[in-house]
Amino acid sequence: MPARENASNSDMKYFDELCRAMEFLGRDPRTIFLGQAVACPGTAMTNTLKKVSREKLLELPVTEEMQMGMSTGLALGGHVPVSIYPRWNFLLLSVNQVVNHLDKLPIVSNGGYQPRVIIRTGIGSERPLHPQYQHVGDFTEAFRLMCKTIEVIRLDEPDQIFPAYKRALEREDGRSTIIVEYGDYYNEK
Amino acid sequence: MTPEDLIAFESEIADIFNAGKIRAPVHLYYGNEVQMIEVFRDVKPEDWVFCSWRSHYQCLLKGVPREEVKAEILAGRSISLCFPKYRIVSSAIVTGVLPIAVGAALGIKRRGGPARVHCFAGDMTAETGSFHECLKYSTNHQLPIRFIIEDNAKSVCTDTRESWNQPVLTYENSRHPLVVYYKYQTKYPHAGAGKRVQF
Repeated sequence: MPARENASNSDMKYFDELCRAMEFLGRDPRTIFLGQAVACPGTAMTNTLKKVSREKLLELPVTEEMQMGMSTGLALGGHVPVSIYPRWNFLLLSVNQVVNHLDKLPIVSNGGYQPRVIIRTGIGSERPLHPQYQHVGDFTEAFRLMCKTIEVIRLDEPDQIFPAYKRALEREDGRSTIIVEYGDYYNEK
Repeated sequence: MTPEDLIAFESEIADIFNAGKIRAPVHLYYGNEVQMIEVFRDVKPEDWVFCSWRSHYQCLLKGVPREEVKAEILAGRSISLCFPKYRIVSSAIVTGVLPIAVGAALGIKRRGGPARVHCFAGDMTAETGSFHECLKYSTNHQLPIRFIIEDNAKSVCTDTRESWNQPVLTYENSRHPLVVYYKYQTKYPHAGAGKRVQF
């Protein structure tokens, strides 16, 4: 079934909108989805990828920084990687590649390189189980301060989701995008 | 280019830097000209080259015109030279380009085509966990990439072997199919050209 790009959002919820956005991204020939629990089960995010073609899902070993560097390298060659980190706390392990490389390559290359990566991360859910403080961080503001070219978008409401991912895919301004989801809203909004 | 051409280029940059005319760090090569020319016999125009903060020779040997490289250095960008037209990417951060190079190689493999990736790393970089991960992934997934380890025995001023308490480095005697290893001795310091420059 094709993604409901033109469907009304009024009856859609947070999780459904994420599924719709992923299906939309998956239809673009340039995209590739990579990370842990991408091609195999493991996180709530996995469940949003069920309508993405299997050959677009690349399961990686647990190597957060390498994953982010690989995403940048794929983007240099014309892919649009959707690089998945289920929690901000995990994305912290890739800060060097995010802040020093993906964010700065457009600057140090005088705009010559404009890798377009979509980084998908989340604020860990606290309900019904609280996974404690290494899993529920929200570093949105910190990354906004550290990044000069990457845009950080936090998804507070379901109707923000599809436009945010569509913009991240189609933007022509040479910027990458970090999109932040709320784990709790998968079941609550 | 000949070894003499490469040495002359760095010598010219050294003189300009020592004259206080470059208001940014420069990282100069010396003593590895023959090895670099040999490495570049296997680099084609469509290939990608990933470098660290020391990359003047790679740029020249990949085909960037001498004056274009010089202009970027004079503009203060020696430390992270990037030439998209020639598929050259450099980073001023230790290990920075390694996973980016792996991603570029993965992209080539997925799309097909004859291009390859050549990723340069110093002796300290080659001892890091990042290098280990990147080499392992590239090897196991048969990516079109090779890593060229350039061993000048030091990372800035730190002795690589002494700091790791390891007389023989991991890839020093390795015959790993994706690794090219060579030793050299430079006459230049880590940064600059050996003369204190006051601005």
